[in-house]
Amino acid sequence: MSDRTGPFEPKIVAFLCRWCSYAGADLAGVSRMEYPPNVVPMRVNCSGRVDVEMVLAAIEKGADGVLIGGCHPGDCHYVSGNYKTRRRVALIKRALSEIGIDPRRVHLEWISASEGHKFQQTITQFTQRIRDLGPSPVPAAAGAKVGGNG
Amino acid sequence: MGKAKIGVYWAASCGGCDCSLLEVNEQILDVAAAADILLWPCATDVKYADLESYKNGEIDIVLFNGAIRTAENREIAKLIRTKTKALVAFGSCAHTGGVIGLANLATRDEIFTTVYGEQRDGWPQVSASQNGYDLHLPEFLETLTPLAEVVEVDYVVPGCPPPREIVSQLFSALVAGELPPMGTVFASQKNLCEECPREREQEKITRILRPHQQEPDPEKCLLDQGFVCMGPATRGGCGAVCPAANMPCTGCAGPTESITDQGAAMLNTLASLVGTGEEGEDQLDAEDAILAQLDDIIGTFYRFGLATSLLRGRYHEQNRTAR
Repeated sequence: MSDRTGPFEPKIVAFLCRWCSYAGADLAGVSRMEYPPNVVPMRVNCSGRVDVEMVLAAIEKGADGVLIGGCHPGDCHYVSGNYKTRRRVALIKRALSEIGIDPRRVHLEWISASEGHKFQQTITQFTQRIRDLGPSPVPAAAGAKVGGNG
Repeated sequence: MGKAKIGVYWAASCGGCDCSLLEVNEQILDVAAAADILLWPCATDVKYADLESYKNGEIDIVLFNGAIRTAENREIAKLIRTKTKALVAFGSCAHTGGVIGLANLATRDEIFTTVYGEQRDGWPQVSASQNGYDLHLPEFLETLTPLAEVVEVDYVVPGCPPPREIVSQLFSALVAGELPPMGTVFASQKNLCEECPREREQEKITRILRPHQQEPDPEKCLLDQGFVCMGPATRGGCGAVCPAANMPCTGCAGPTESITDQGAAMLNTLASLVGTGEEGEDQLDAEDAILAQLDDIIGTFYRFGLATSLLRGRYHEQNRTAR
């Protein structure tokens, strides 16, 4: 990600499930709803595809916040992927707290394909939250060399 | 071919790795017969001046244990790199930072305050003059890093300490003069579960236990029983010695080839397994209650790998009061 110069603009990565939240983002788009341009959406097949490593890697590479959008409970296209993500996010937040990163930088939201308005609101509120929290304490170049395999 | 020239070095380590070399019992005699030891601070009287006097690339292989914690560790690692053809990251600390990598949860200043007290008055000093002598201590670095962050590493021998079978494998290759291709990790390419003798029944984890709370059933998978066993995210090769001794794997061998962040991989696994049965909206509170039984996430999931994990250590938020 680029250097941080000028006023702070949050960089947010959003992992959106293709069946619900990404469709919700599409609906917000075709409905011409306005929301902050700080979010880089990443389409994943299921919120259950988002593993802990993906969230940590986003933060390590300079994201100030990570949003995960999945189907409402009971609505997962793959039955239970969203429940697994919910438990993962709970553990990610605790791990981040323990290493001094504000857990509010990671957020999980259920957004269905019909909830364009909720998508707009979620992005707006989450961007504001990250703006209030300020830049991530992780220097963007922190983990240029990654790996434990020698 | 003449005798092989070998070296062993310890940086920030506990000495356990040096002991593990002797765990091969009489095989060490074969090594002594087949090789000249040019460096081994723990067992020989070789000085740094001797190390400096060696020609570049004179030593065939150096087993380097311990992490890089001080300027001395760093300087000698670089010096050894120029003097040896092959450099082995030997043991967890050299490989992934090891248990002492957890020190990266604290700043250098916090560590000093813990050791020297609040009124530490400039201690520890790195240089002082007394009776006409100038005394110098190596600087304690801001963070702890594994060997590979300072110099290029050719082989990895994982483990805390490396298990006997693996050390023996390395010595056999050394004595035969047939070292494997550079880059080889002396361990299994698969995870620990592949060699674990326990029975896995794919049960949901309905409660989380720590080893002091209950004695595990010696036959059943430890994860099935609710103990956090790092096996799924950890490289095998040790023969699952800890699970065989009725203790959960703590992950000392580091991640398997396909994983970047060992702790993250295990957090994934655990999150997927936790549950009371059928997943559903009415189970969310019960799931949260199970997860709440987990204590010390970093110390459990990153016990040996914090220094090489994606996020590496502790950070300091500037704006703690934000809503």
